[in-house]
Order: sequence, then C-alpha cells, then structure tokens
Amino acid sequence: MTAAVENSFFNGLYQGRVVHARFWLYVGLMTGASLLAIFGGNGYDENDYIYRLLSIQGVIWCGAGALVGAAASMFLGGKSLSKLVPWFDGLIVMALLMALFTLFEPHDALISYEDQANLVSGKIVMAMNLLFLFSAVCYIMYLFAPESFIGKMATMAAWAGVYAGGTSLLLRWYESYLFLGGDIGHAPVSNLYEVFILLFCITCSIYLAFESRYQARGMGAFVMVLVSAGVFFGIWLDSIGQADIKPLVPALQSYWMKIHVPLNFVGYGAFAVACAAGMAWLFRERLERRGSSPMLKVFPSLDQLDQLAYKAVAVGFPAFTLATILGAAWAAEAWGGYWSWDPKETWALIVWLFYGAYLHVRISHGWSGKTLAVWAVVGFLVTLFCFVGVNMYLSGLHSYGRLA
Amino acid sequence: MSYYRESIKPLFLRMASMPLAIVLLMVLAIASVIGTVLLQNQEHADYLNQFGPVWYWVFRSMGLFDMYHAWWFIGLLGFLMAALSFCLWHNVPRMLKEMRSRKITLAEHAWKRMQHTHELSLPDMDMSVVTERVEKVAGWKWLSYQEEGRTYLRGDKGRYHKWGYILVHSALLVVLIGGWMSVQFGFRGNMAVPEGGMESQISYVKGTGVESLDMPFEVRCNNFEIDFFPTGAPKEFRSNLTIIDQGKEVVTSDIIVNEPLFYKGVRIYQASFGDGGSKVGLKLFRLDGSKRIDVAKGEVYKTYTDSESGISMEITDFKPFNVENMAAPGQAKKFQDIGPAVDFILRGPGLKPVKVRSFMNPFMVDGQNQGSLIMVSLSGDNRDFQSFFLGPDLTNPKEWDLFHAFGQKASGAADGGSVEAFKAAVREVYGEKMPEDIQDLGIRTLQGVNSLSSLPWPFVPVLDDFDQVYYTGLQLARDPGMNVVWVGSALLTFGLCIMLYVSHRKVWLVIEAQDRGMRVRVAGLANRNLMAFDREFNDLLRELDDTLGLSKQGEQV
Repeated sequence: MTAAVENSFFNGLYQGRVVHARFWLYVGLMTGASLLAIFGGNGYDENDYIYRLLSIQGVIWCGAGALVGAAASMFLGGKSLSKLVPWFDGLIVMALLMALFTLFEPHDALISYEDQANLVSGKIVMAMNLLFLFSAVCYIMYLFAPESFIGKMATMAAWAGVYAGGTSLLLRWYESYLFLGGDIGHAPVSNLYEVFILLFCITCSIYLAFESRYQARGMGAFVMVLVSAGVFFGIWLDSIGQADIKPLVPALQSYWMKIHVPLNFVGYGAFAVACAAGMAWLFRERLERRGSSPMLKVFPSLDQLDQLAYKAVAVGFPAFTLATILGAAWAAEAWGGYWSWDPKETWALIVWLFYGAYLHVRISHGWSGKTLAVWAVVGFLVTLFCFVGVNMYLSGLHSYGRLA
Repeated sequence: MSYYRESIKPLFLRMASMPLAIVLLMVLAIASVIGTVLLQNQEHADYLNQFGPVWYWVFRSMGLFDMYHAWWFIGLLGFLMAALSFCLWHNVPRMLKEMRSRKITLAEHAWKRMQHTHELSLPDMDMSVVTERVEKVAGWKWLSYQEEGRTYLRGDKGRYHKWGYILVHSALLVVLIGGWMSVQFGFRGNMAVPEGGMESQISYVKGTGVESLDMPFEVRCNNFEIDFFPTGAPKEFRSNLTIIDQGKEVVTSDIIVNEPLFYKGVRIYQASFGDGGSKVGLKLFRLDGSKRIDVAKGEVYKTYTDSESGISMEITDFKPFNVENMAAPGQAKKFQDIGPAVDFILRGPGLKPVKVRSFMNPFMVDGQNQGSLIMVSLSGDNRDFQSFFLGPDLTNPKEWDLFHAFGQKASGAADGGSVEAFKAAVREVYGEKMPEDIQDLGIRTLQGVNSLSSLPWPFVPVLDDFDQVYYTGLQLARDPGMNVVWVGSALLTFGLCIMLYVSHRKVWLVIEAQDRGMRVRVAGLANRNLMAFDREFNDLLRELDDTLGLSKQGEQV
C-alpha cells in the first residue's frame, strides 16, 4: 500500500505542471549561475567563482534565476524538455550527497598533499568500484535467470554506482581545496584517474536511460563488462600513485577544461554503449544461428540492438563533434591555433571520420546488421586508442594526460 | 592465386562497390594515422638515422615527414571538398523540392508502405467539423484536401529535417574553406624576447626547415615572472609586454597562458620561457693550498675562461629555484627548494668535459648544514646529474680557513692525531669560543679533505651572486580563417542535431462515408526513430478519439 502511494508520489514528480515548472526552475538556476560567472566580480576566476556560488551572493543570483524560471514556466505553456529533469534531479542529489560526505572528512592534521589516503572520496570510489563489479556480475547472472529479482538488483547497483562515482568526483573537487592552502583546487577532470570515473558514470547513465526506455536489460552485461574492465584499470592507476590530486599545469587553468573534457566523455561513453550494443548483436546472432536458446528471450531483438547502437552513436556523435569544436576553440586561446595536427587532435578526427562513415552507411545507404555491429565495436577500439592509447604511446600537446 | 581469388578479390569488389563518401572518409582516417605514429617535422639527420637511407628516401619522396602538408594529403582534402560540393549540388534542389511539396492524397497502393495503419468508425458528422477538429490536434502541421467524396488530411512533424543534411554538408565545406584561408593567409611562429629586450621577427617550421617573418610591430618584454605552487610545479607564467608600432608605444599588457594579447589581427600567446642571459658571479676556490678565492663574472650563453688555468666554463642555464624531492625512495614525497644554481660545461687542458651544476647555498636537511653541493653529469645530460658533497660550507669563509688550517696541522701530525689536529685548527680559526655544531664541522672538514682532493680541477666553482634575466617565449599567430571555421562549426553542430534528432513523421487520415457513419483510416510513416514513432502514433490515435468524441459515442454506435 505504502509502496503504491510512494510510487504515485514519485510519478507525480515527473508529470504535468510539476515537472514543467521544475524544468524551467533548473534552467533559471543555471542561467543565474552563468550570469554570476560573467558579471559577478572581475572576470571569471575558478576559486573566486566557487566561493561566490556558495556565498550569499550565489544564493541570491541562483535563487533569483530559479524563481524567475519557475515564474516564467507559467507563461511558457507546455514547452519544456521534461526528459531532462531527472538528470538535473540526479545532479542535485549528487551535490547533496557530496555536502553530506564533507562532514565525514578527517581532521585537517590527517590530510596533507603528500598523503591523500585519508580522503573520503577515495573510499567512495572504492564503493563505486565494488558496486559496478557487483552490478556486472548481476547482469551476467540475469542472462541465465531472467525471471528472478537479480536483474532489478543489477540495475539498482549500477545506479548506485553512478551516484557514488558522481559524488566522489564532486567530493574530490572540494577536497582539492583542503591542502596547500587551497592553492591547487581545481575541477576533477584533470587526469586519467578522474576522467575514468567520469567515463564510468556517463557510460552507465546513458545505458541505464536506454534500459529504462527500451527494456534493454539484456545488453547490460556487455556494458558493465566494459565498465568493469575500466574499473580494474582505475584500480591499477590508483595503485601506481596516479590517483593523487596534483596541481594543474598553467595550460589547463581555464574554464574551457570544465566544458571540453566532460563533453568529450559524453561522446566516449555513448560510443562505449554503442560498442556494447554491437557486441550484444553479434552474441545474439551467434545464439540464433546455433538454434534456440533460453537466453534469446532475455535479449532485445537483433533489430532493436541495431537501433540501440545507432541511438548511442546519435547521442555520442554530436557531443563528440561539439567537444572537438570547443577543444579547437580552447586551442585557439591557449596554443595559438585551433588545429595543430597534434596526435590527440588527429585521433579525435579519426574517431570522428570513423563514426561519420558509420552514420553515412546507415542513414544514406541503409546498411544495418552485422557490418554495423562490427563497426560499432571497432569504432570503440579506435575511440579507446584516442582516449588512452594516445596518452600512453604518442607524444604531443595533450601530454598532461600522460602517466607521469 | 587462389588466395587472391578467395580473399583479396571479394574485398576489392566490396571496396569498389562502397559509396565514395565512405571510402573517402576511411582513407582520410587511415592516412591521418601515419602522421601520428611517425614524428613530424624532425631533423632530416634523425630520420636518416632512424630509417636508414632507403626508407628515408621513400618516406621523404612521399612527404611523410610533413605529412599533413604533403601534396597528396592536401589533394585528399581537396577531393573531399569536391565530393561535398558535388553532393550538395546534386541533392539540395531535390531536397528543397521534396520539403516544399506535400502530397495530401494517398494512393491505395501506398498503404502497403506504411509503418502504422489504423481504422476508426465515426458517427455521421459534418465533414468540415471533423476536419476542423482534427486540425486542432497540436504538434502536427495539417493540410486537407477533398476529392471524390473523400477527405484527405495530412499531418507533418519535423518536415524540415532535410535541412540537417544540407547544413551539415555545407558546414563541413565552410570549415574546410576556413582552414584553407588560415593556411593561405595566416601565419604562426615563435619569438624569444629577453626581459628588457625587443624583437620583431618570428620563426616557424616549414616542412623540415625553419623560416622567419617580420612583424609589422615590435614586442618588448618588460618583465617575466613565474609563480610556483608549494610543490614546485609552475603555477603561472606571466609576461608584461609592450607593443611598439612605428616607434610609438601602443599597448602595454600582461599575458598569461590561456589569455593572449590581440593586436592588429595578431594574437600573442605565452608559449614558453627560459634564461635570457642572466649575469652570474662564481667564486673560484683555488685548491693549490693558497686559500685564494677568485671571482668569475659570467653570463648565461657565454663562456668564461680562467686565464690562470686555461679552464673554460660555458654557462648554459641558470635557475633561481630547484625544487627536489628530499624523501628517501618509497617514503611520502617531501619537496624542498635547494636554492639557485648555475649550469655550465667545464672544459680544460687534459680534462674530460663535464657538465656541472653549482649551487649557491649549502645543502640543508632538517636545519642541518651538509656543506656546499655541486652536481656533475659526466655525459652532459641533465638526467645524469650526480650529487657531489664538497664538505665545508664554502659560503662561510671560516670553514674555508678551517679546512686549510686542518690540512696544515694534520700533515705534521702522526696517524690518529687528526682529532688533535682538528682541535688545534678550530682554536686557530675560531679562537677559544667553540662553534656549536663542532661535531658536524668536524665531519664536514674531514669530508672536505677527501672530496676536494679527489677533484681533477685546480679550483671549485661555487655560485656566489646572480642578476636573473628571463626570456619569454611568445607565439604570434594571425588567422583570418578562424571566424569562418567557427561559423562552420556552429552550423555543423546545429545541423547534426537536426539530422540526428528530428525525424520526419507523416500521418494521413482518409475519411469517407460508409453505410452507417463514416470510416476514418489513419496511416503513419516516419523516416527514423521508429520506437518513438510507435508511441507518438498511439498518442495521436488517443487524441483523435478524444477530439472526435469517440470514447463516448463509440459505445452508442
């Protein structure tokens, strides 16, 4: 009974007026925050901006924005992108969780730049790792026991992992101000370890959105196996001391970093999901050729998997394009030119051409099926090289992503 | 031969049958890989060493050492532009026409093509009322047409989606044109300006050589500063520059990385820095027992020659800060600045040339003086520097005196009398008042006897004073194509969103009279995102039910 009531309460949050007003409230809030960044104080300065955002001034600007947004929603009829509201809600929850965890930070004397092991974020990352691994195991078990609750558990663990990851990143941002007099504080998108966490969260949330919208839980095993591989890589990075918060080199001290890097990972994450859909396609096709298998019932049909891979690319490609363009804009401001044929840039172009060709064969020439499934898998390998391989094997202007 | 027939030929046929656009994109992608694997724009000698003469000439003739400017790569890009133009010229008129013409009627044979069909029955109503009500269903653009007692209604959503295609392809063309303009009419090069100095010429890499270009103005560097994090990592590089145009000072401004200066279409970026010829003074502590200390005044990038011994010191670099990790391996890192140091290459008659780094301050660990320090690299590579503790703290004249006094006393004393000799030496130099760190002093002096005598040089060079001058490394670039590229990029993003997210959805309603009431046939077609269209079509049916009052009246029928 209570469950039903709760359920209707939650559904109510995402319907009609409520969700409509909330969408515009969030838009207003973000506009207020942006206006504060542009007009508050003397130009943008990260530390200054963050403190401003948390001060009375921030509350006034953001609050006013939110109020205006909510009020404006009354005049905007039915025009809102209500599908985005849960994402904003998720971010707010993460921010609240982060605020909660700051209370558990150890005493100042136990925190130092040289020894960062006591920070809470590291423990939350560990929890995230466990959640993602657990979720991967559950998703695989789900393939064999589709009727049981294990599928639901897999989904819940994956969601919990996303929240843990997002919270840990926000917490790391806060923690970067805790030592050396707050001198080295910066957004947590500056090294491989941090962006890996970001990648897990983005990959999982894109997949989970697909799962809830298209009932594609059978694909989860493939996504989470990819994520698990990444989790082990992250643990290895931590073990060789690459997880420490380090000061930013001057080239990275720019607001562009906070736009360019996360947007790129929306692209990478979406391509990872496309790769998983491609693998699921190939797997199912094999099963079908072998004859009937109980597992066939669990999987989305070949046609659906094909569509899902395309959808993932359709999310990733524009994000990746925009990220590359914004990267070029940043390069024009920091390196003296928007394009330098730097290995990272060139590989981004290669990835772009690869998926551009994918969209061509799909949209203009109507290909589908096996070739495209393989294409999505290979495309992700190319993406991986662009992401990790370039940093590890090739030199260039993006060399701060290197393992030191 | 059978291998050819079985594997290569089908592959080849497949390649040949692939649409041009895809082949072109993939060829460009693969070609781009080469330039990232093969280091570009290096010295020819290095390439020759690396690949040997045969491959060197093969690669060179293909322009692989400056691949992104090789004729064939430019040709590929040109071909891409041509293909894009052809594609647009071929498709745009057709697409525009398609978007304009909306056929309202639906032929009977077209029903088979529909993804969704549905049939409803209506009570007898006025046709115009039905049309009016249907046209009120929001979100669709409706058109109606009557023919032979039938009413056709057509609704469209996203019928401008083909603009996505047009925008994306023309945007790419615009970006490529912008890129061409940048290369053709722009420049990008570097200059190094010492503090207080002026420069008006940039140099840049062209192919595998270096060329230079005069700027229409001069740049003066008034000041260069580096800020450090407590860890020793650089935090900010800041140059204060003045632009001098035809003898007049026009602009004075600070630049840092990420915040360039813009003047007359040229952007001036903070790119690097280095020593701009600092003046350094070294003390030469003669090791011939004469206790003499000579002063050598030198300058970075210049060579100082000691006339007495014929030894020359080619001063290569000076650094005011040298942050080192002082922790033992395996322990938590502990960074400490060990003070200013000068690097020079020491050459002399009968000596092996070595690189020396001489520090100004004695080496201190936890407040304990460990004496003066120099580092020596036998290979001349900075990575091979090895610490060499001299023993006495040479910045303290008394320790230099003590070293000599001890030497004199110890030479006269018998074995094991060194403690006595040391005590006597201390009394001679310091008088009756013993220094507090007498123990350390003893160790240092004893160490000095060993280490200073093992030096092959007739003197120890120790940095004494400095007057630091930096040079700031600037990058100057003019890029007339940049704004064109931004316009193209904006169009590209916008177009992609239309192309990928807007699908053209069409529905038709065919209404005709039947025995009792009317028959409404609904059909729907979408060009993509069929999963979403399923839902949308059902939503439309529900709305039609509502607006036509079917849910109530349907029961009566």
